[in-house]
Amino acid sequence: MNRFDLLNKVQNFLKENLVICNIGLPSQELYKISDQPNFFYMLGSMGLSSSIGLGLALSQNKHVISIDGDGSVLMNMNTLATIGNRAPSNYTLLIIDNGSYGSTGDQRTFTNEKTSLKEVALGAGCKNVVECSGVETVNELSKAIDDKDNSYVIISKINSGNVKIDPIPLNPITIRDRFRKFIGIVKYL
Amino acid sequence: MKISKKIIDNLKKGGVDFYLSVPCKLLANMIDILENDKDVYYSAVPREEEGMGICAGAYLGNKFPCIMMQNTGIGNSVNAIVSLLQLYQMPVVFLISYRGTPGEPVGAQGGMAKITEDILHTLRIPMLHCTSEKELDKISTFSKHAKVIESPVAILCDFNLMKDDT
Repeated sequence: MNRFDLLNKVQNFLKENLVICNIGLPSQELYKISDQPNFFYMLGSMGLSSSIGLGLALSQNKHVISIDGDGSVLMNMNTLATIGNRAPSNYTLLIIDNGSYGSTGDQRTFTNEKTSLKEVALGAGCKNVVECSGVETVNELSKAIDDKDNSYVIISKINSGNVKIDPIPLNPITIRDRFRKFIGIVKYL
Repeated sequence: MKISKKIIDNLKKGGVDFYLSVPCKLLANMIDILENDKDVYYSAVPREEEGMGICAGAYLGNKFPCIMMQNTGIGNSVNAIVSLLQLYQMPVVFLISYRGTPGEPVGAQGGMAKITEDILHTLRIPMLHCTSEKELDKISTFSKHAKVIESPVAILCDFNLMKDDT
């Protein structure tokens, strides 16, 4: 299973929640599978999906899923300490760990060598840390969303590989405004 | 404490209700005030760039965020400012302790001090440079301005303004 297959499998869970999606191919693949106003596609700032989702979860009550990657979490690893200490129960971090920098040509990341993001997350203070296969991810994500008392970090171990895809044809203000409108904030559009 | 209280009062008057900090001894009193303020959210964060991401999410969730940091933090955050906050036009207040300005005892702070305003100019970020107490009165209007123009803004507080605020 690769990222595109996984996003296909979890798409129904994403539709009912607020989703922050990582820059590059993850966002492009999600857009191709199913574009929704409650999907915030990152067009820049690699590494910050988990942080944007955390700020959002702290600021309103809807459930937030940050879709991140192993390369991006390695770039902003302090995020796991902040999540471990501050994440509210309406927050789930889904790390799609394919052991490679998919958007830049599938160069190997350190999770393909010695680094375990599960161990890092646990050491950083995250309590509900699940490492699972792509197939198991659907069930784990469902449990995380249903649990109203705890936040989760799910590390989904899948294969590398991408599908051929185009850039997202939405401008950033459109992404911003329809997302905020979905939450009930923006009155215009 | 008087200066720090005035800064926080003015930020709150400007609508800021979500605060993060990467600490500085010049921000210590403000952090104390915020930790005891039940009306607003406050947390420390390990790194400024990460804080920019959290502020972006807070804005999406209808908060008006502020990140407090040393001017060195701007250097850590340039891509997040340009490719996230400015790309999506998100108002965030940067409350910056301006290390390396006259009065600063640590020579090594001078390097970033020399280029801080140039970086902010290059990023087209509006600045309010506070060198004395009377300038703090402009903070509330300046903060509201960030929401009007949908842009990050920077408030710089000089070393000598903050150093005796015990």
